[in-house]
Amino acid sequence: MSHTAPTKIRNVVQVRNLAKAYGDNVVLRDVSLSVPEGSVTAMIGPSGAGKSTVLRCMNLLEKPDSGEIEIDGHVINARKKISPKNLAALRRSAGMVFQHFNLFPHMTVLRNISLPQERILGRSRDEANTKTMELLTRMGLGDKADHYPARCSGGQQQRIAIARALALGPRVMLFDEPTSALDPEVGVEVLEVMKELASEGMTMVVVTHEMGFAANVSNELVVMADGCIIESGDPRQIMSDPQHERTRRFLRAVLER
Amino acid sequence: MNALLPDIATILPTLLGGLQISLTLTFFSLLFGLPFGMLFSFGVTADNKIFRYISVFFVEVGRGAPALVLLQLMYYGLPNVQITLTSLVSACLALVWTTAAYTAELIRGGIQSVPHGEIEGSDALGMSVRDRLRFIVIPQGMRIALPSLMGFAVLLFQATSLAYTVAVPELMSQAYSTGSSTFKYLPAFIAAGLLYAAISIPATWLSVLTEKRLSRHL
Amino acid sequence: MQMLQAIAVGLPLTILVTILALAIGTVLAIPLVAGLRSGNRLVWLLTRGTIDLLRGIPPVVWLFILYYGVSIGALRMSALQAAVIGLGLVAAAYLAEIFRGAIGSVHQGQWEASSALGFRTGTAWGRVIGPQAWRTAIPAYTTYGIGLLKDSSIASTIGVAEIVFMSNQYARQSGEGILVFFIAAGIYILLSMPLGMLSRHLDTKMRKAVAR
Ligand SMILES: Nc1ncnc2c1ncn2[C@@H]1O[C@H](COP(=O)(O)OP(=O)(O)OP(=O)(O)O)[C@@H](O)[C@H]1O
Ligand SMILES: [Mg+2]
Repeated sequence: MSHTAPTKIRNVVQVRNLAKAYGDNVVLRDVSLSVPEGSVTAMIGPSGAGKSTVLRCMNLLEKPDSGEIEIDGHVINARKKISPKNLAALRRSAGMVFQHFNLFPHMTVLRNISLPQERILGRSRDEANTKTMELLTRMGLGDKADHYPARCSGGQQQRIAIARALALGPRVMLFDEPTSALDPEVGVEVLEVMKELASEGMTMVVVTHEMGFAANVSNELVVMADGCIIESGDPRQIMSDPQHERTRRFLRAVLER
Repeated sequence: MNALLPDIATILPTLLGGLQISLTLTFFSLLFGLPFGMLFSFGVTADNKIFRYISVFFVEVGRGAPALVLLQLMYYGLPNVQITLTSLVSACLALVWTTAAYTAELIRGGIQSVPHGEIEGSDALGMSVRDRLRFIVIPQGMRIALPSLMGFAVLLFQATSLAYTVAVPELMSQAYSTGSSTFKYLPAFIAAGLLYAAISIPATWLSVLTEKRLSRHL
Repeated sequence: MQMLQAIAVGLPLTILVTILALAIGTVLAIPLVAGLRSGNRLVWLLTRGTIDLLRGIPPVVWLFILYYGVSIGALRMSALQAAVIGLGLVAAAYLAEIFRGAIGSVHQGQWEASSALGFRTGTAWGRVIGPQAWRTAIPAYTTYGIGLLKDSSIASTIGVAEIVFMSNQYARQSGEGILVFFIAAGIYILLSMPLGMLSRHLDTKMRKAVAR
């Protein structure tokens, strides 16, 4: 019996009993998940397993049929009416990074990052620009501020997208295959930035096919298949000794590539 | 045939006043037509039934009926309901209608082709619906629609030539009166055609250039 | 009712002008497309210039040039001839652009596959490129056809007794302008509806055929 009471770890994200179907196609069945503060959760699994759907439900880009999402104390229940205020608060707490960046092509890099700060946080133009330049410099993109996104490489665009999300001061960052649209060499630039974020204590949920990142950076691995979480726990343990047949098959397929 | 070129050269400068009226008509039709086009582009899919029916009526009739019919409707028709307008104003009204109807569809097309990812991007950032329209959907949609709007402006400029049927003293009608008073029809109409072409062709090039430039940024 | 009858008298000429102009336009568009695809700089430039000029001058001006201008010599054109030829020439220019775009949108790989299979150029055009380009061109082609239906009203300005001409005449003698022209507008809208449906039908049919 230990005498020191375990320090209570706060969960930044809690997903409870999430379910979602598109017509007859049941995509998520009863998914529950907690993400402790400062941890990195990697989510893997075969295509169509529902990984993106879970992530997109977390900030209500997709509305779940039932279940509850809690991010940084803001609770949204799928069965109850969602107030716009609550939704805005929840989305502010979660920064999202997409596979295809989704930058605004008609704005310069600077405006892409500053405008949301002005509109959502009510920062002044000067404050927002200062914050933007600070983030861009940190990403090694200080010289790109006045360019349009189309003139930046894919890796640069993805780092700009990360900066855009970070600028709003999120409590958790959600990544949906952030390197899948990039050449491996360029993907490394993005992974480096993510690794740095993790080491600074940012809470992160990362859907990825990068097994190296899952093994070396994440503290928690979640394996999904057919709309369920079939296994979760310590990444190295799961990778070396998967409990579930489906996990074994998936890992074998990934490693054989 | 030998006299054709000198005739054209003499007639051409006398038509410039008419060209100016054609351009003025184009300008005002765009000035008043575009805001209505923007309004109807939202109206045709609006939840409010009255707004939607009104928008659909104006868009469908404005696109479905020839501009010539709208011109005559305004000029010969409106006096029936005790509204008498000068020929210039009634021509302008008809072309405003045409403009609103066509640009409504072009703007709607532009707005619908704003990539879904950008809308999702603004959603994920937590932007309000109004901000999303104001900063992402409308500017992006207008950019996408811009080349086709420019193409429409050229067609509208050409359509002002039909206003001569309702006695607007624009380019075509000046050419016609020169032709009928001197019997030099061919040089008069060729001169008018050259003036139309001198505006239309470069304007079309400009719209093509704009399209190329814009697609580079996307 | 009497009004509707008076206007409907113009229907056959509206349809005739539209169909003939579309036919002329389609046929003449083919050499124009060939010119646009020509490797010969001079041919390309001449074609480009012709198309720009045909499109740069409003149809009504072409009609007047043909009707009033060309009728002076021995060669006298009737109003109907001038309308059909004038609208047909303008149509050729617009259709050439539509066809060029459609041909350009067929993937380069289709040419490569055709050559790799040893198809002759004619076979490649007839069996591979042509059908795919035509499928892409159909919506724009029909849209242009509907536009031409409306442009056929311009023939009224040189005295072809089609719908707008008849409407105008009736409006002047009856003094009921507003109703007359609303009915005329209604007729054009009704006429373009089946064309729109035909286009969608052909489009889906072609799509299925290609998908199979
Ligand atoms: N908008 C939608 N409408 C209908 N079905 C959808 C929609 N979005 C996703 N689905 C379906 O939901 C299932 C799960 O999709 P999801 O994108 O979450 O999978 P994933 O695990 O992210 O796969 P991948 O690795 O391919 O990204 C799939 O069967 C997909 O076809
Ligand atoms: Mg996915």
